[in-house]
Amino acid sequence: MKSKLLEHILSIVVVSSIFLFMMVQFQSQSRDVEMAADREIAPFLALDFIDYDNPLHRSLLKESMDAFYPGQESRHAELLQKIQDHRAREITAARQQDNSGKGLSAPRLWELFGMYLRFILAYGIVMFLTYYGVQTLGTLRFVQMKKGQTSYLAALVKHVNKCRGADSANWQDCAKTGATLFGKALAKGILYMILFSPAYVLAYSFKTRFDTDSLFFMVVLGVLSNGLLINYANKFYTFLVSESRKGYVQTAIVKNLRNSYLAEEGGIKLGEIFRLRKSFEGHVFHHIFINARYQYLSTIKEQASFLISGLVIIEMALNIHNHLCYELLQNILYQQYDVVVLIVLGIYLVLKTTEILADYWLYFESRRYENKAS
Amino acid sequence: MSYLQNIYEQKDKLWFVIWLLGIAALGIWDMLFLNQPAFRQLRIGFYQTIKIALIVILLTAVVSWIVAVLLERLENSRFSALYLAATFVLNIIRSIPQIVGILGGYTLITFWLQNGTLRTPLSVIFAIAVTISLFVFLELVDLIRERIHYYKKRDFYNAMRVCGISENRIINTEILWKNSLSHIFNKLISIFGITIFLQCSIDFIISVGLSTRVSAINLPVTLGSLLAKIDSKQDILAIGHTFGDITYFSRLFFEHLQGISVAFLIVFTLLCVYKISNGFAERYEL
Repeated sequence: MKSKLLEHILSIVVVSSIFLFMMVQFQSQSRDVEMAADREIAPFLALDFIDYDNPLHRSLLKESMDAFYPGQESRHAELLQKIQDHRAREITAARQQDNSGKGLSAPRLWELFGMYLRFILAYGIVMFLTYYGVQTLGTLRFVQMKKGQTSYLAALVKHVNKCRGADSANWQDCAKTGATLFGKALAKGILYMILFSPAYVLAYSFKTRFDTDSLFFMVVLGVLSNGLLINYANKFYTFLVSESRKGYVQTAIVKNLRNSYLAEEGGIKLGEIFRLRKSFEGHVFHHIFINARYQYLSTIKEQASFLISGLVIIEMALNIHNHLCYELLQNILYQQYDVVVLIVLGIYLVLKTTEILADYWLYFESRRYENKAS
Repeated sequence: MSYLQNIYEQKDKLWFVIWLLGIAALGIWDMLFLNQPAFRQLRIGFYQTIKIALIVILLTAVVSWIVAVLLERLENSRFSALYLAATFVLNIIRSIPQIVGILGGYTLITFWLQNGTLRTPLSVIFAIAVTISLFVFLELVDLIRERIHYYKKRDFYNAMRVCGISENRIINTEILWKNSLSHIFNKLISIFGITIFLQCSIDFIISVGLSTRVSAINLPVTLGSLLAKIDSKQDILAIGHTFGDITYFSRLFFEHLQGISVAFLIVFTLLCVYKISNGFAERYEL
């Protein structure tokens, strides 16, 4: 653990140093560029008789410059464009009142810190919910598989084949069961489509029905969309399946440990699957579950990275104002790379902290299960 | 009949067929009801998306194999410092969320587009593929190294070494080519899905957020950039309208076909890739 921790700390120090150096570089560079640009356009902005909103005034200014300084037409066009860019930037910043395009200052840093905290809050909630959801869905699927439940579509096909020879008295029952199975299959299909939808597809589908800019909606999208939940639930399911094939499970079954998955035979109840702290004491599945969860812990770092990618996509694609990643995008647009580097560093630190915590958790569990001293 | 039965039982093949049939059905529907310019854009967008994803998996396969074998050699050589430095750099790449890294790469690509470094469409596509590969290839590197470590603990490894067979041959031919190809292929299928997801997301973000700086003409048309178009977004918004007025549902497939088709292609492809990967893992008991 010590060597891992050392590696993490070294990585944080190196990356932070590089990013801070870049930030300082970009800051001084942008100041120089801004000052040079300001020096160039300041005399023109001071001409109070020119209305830059008026295309006629702009044309007159350009033609006058072309007449007085011939041969520099492209430079004049560029100068006019710089004036326009400067004015557009000022108008946008004033309208949004978010100091976009003004680089890093104390109030700006404070504002970014607030957004950062909100990002961490959303990340923490989504992480917790997916941690629970992954284990719940994985367990549910495993128990269903053990009960011998097939997919609704396969059951429907089987049902149709069975009903072919049914008489008219049974026909209504057959149709009813068939319709129920079809409805379930359809609902499952739609659910799958939702779980695999990228956040922006889902969000735009519901934009007219809900307030998509809220933290709640962001959390819901973070959990349900981008395939995060379904992919990691599947991973957890495969851990359960591979554990269930191991020798100790067979031994436990031979030794008469409870191994039925049917609730009526003292198996796994639905309530137990949905419990926050899952425990299946006295059942062979308890051991399968804790061993699968141990393996799942090592994938949490990967899940965290994917989750952050999902949150970044949500904030950027939905243009959620006053959120960290929206700011990141805006600052790329305004070429304020010092702010960009700072935000990326912040996101990197969130991920790195998660990695350290996940490694520590795994180390803690390893000591417990593998009886390791250090 | 037995051939169909065979396909039905092998879920990866079944879902591959479902994917092809789904795309074909959508293509026929769009040919009948979507306007020709939009249909043409949709075809180009889908083709470019798949093309980039295929280049990504090709690059990932080659680079991962080389990097994993190199790391393996370095770990057991006297250049342990070099090994530590390499893993340190790779871990830093791993600690950067993929989307943030790719966004950085896209910023560079747009810069190169603006200063004329990237001139041909193929060079842009290749640059995009390299950027995405850089942030997805580590998954395959980890898998390949896992496989090598697993087999190195087996007796046959030492037995082959005693027989004088070179380590290069054991790793590349015996372990990876003969015993791990199905694992690698399965990982590449999931990387294909991840690539489509990341590529569509980044293109959507770029088209929505940075469109004033980046000319849409310069970047290749993909499903993500098509979805970011205002009319596509309006089409997706219409789905929400259906929740309030269910009679509007049928109009989605005629009046809002462009956005619905793009969204369907993305979601359906992601779903099918997931199912294909699962089916493949099931078939080869991975």
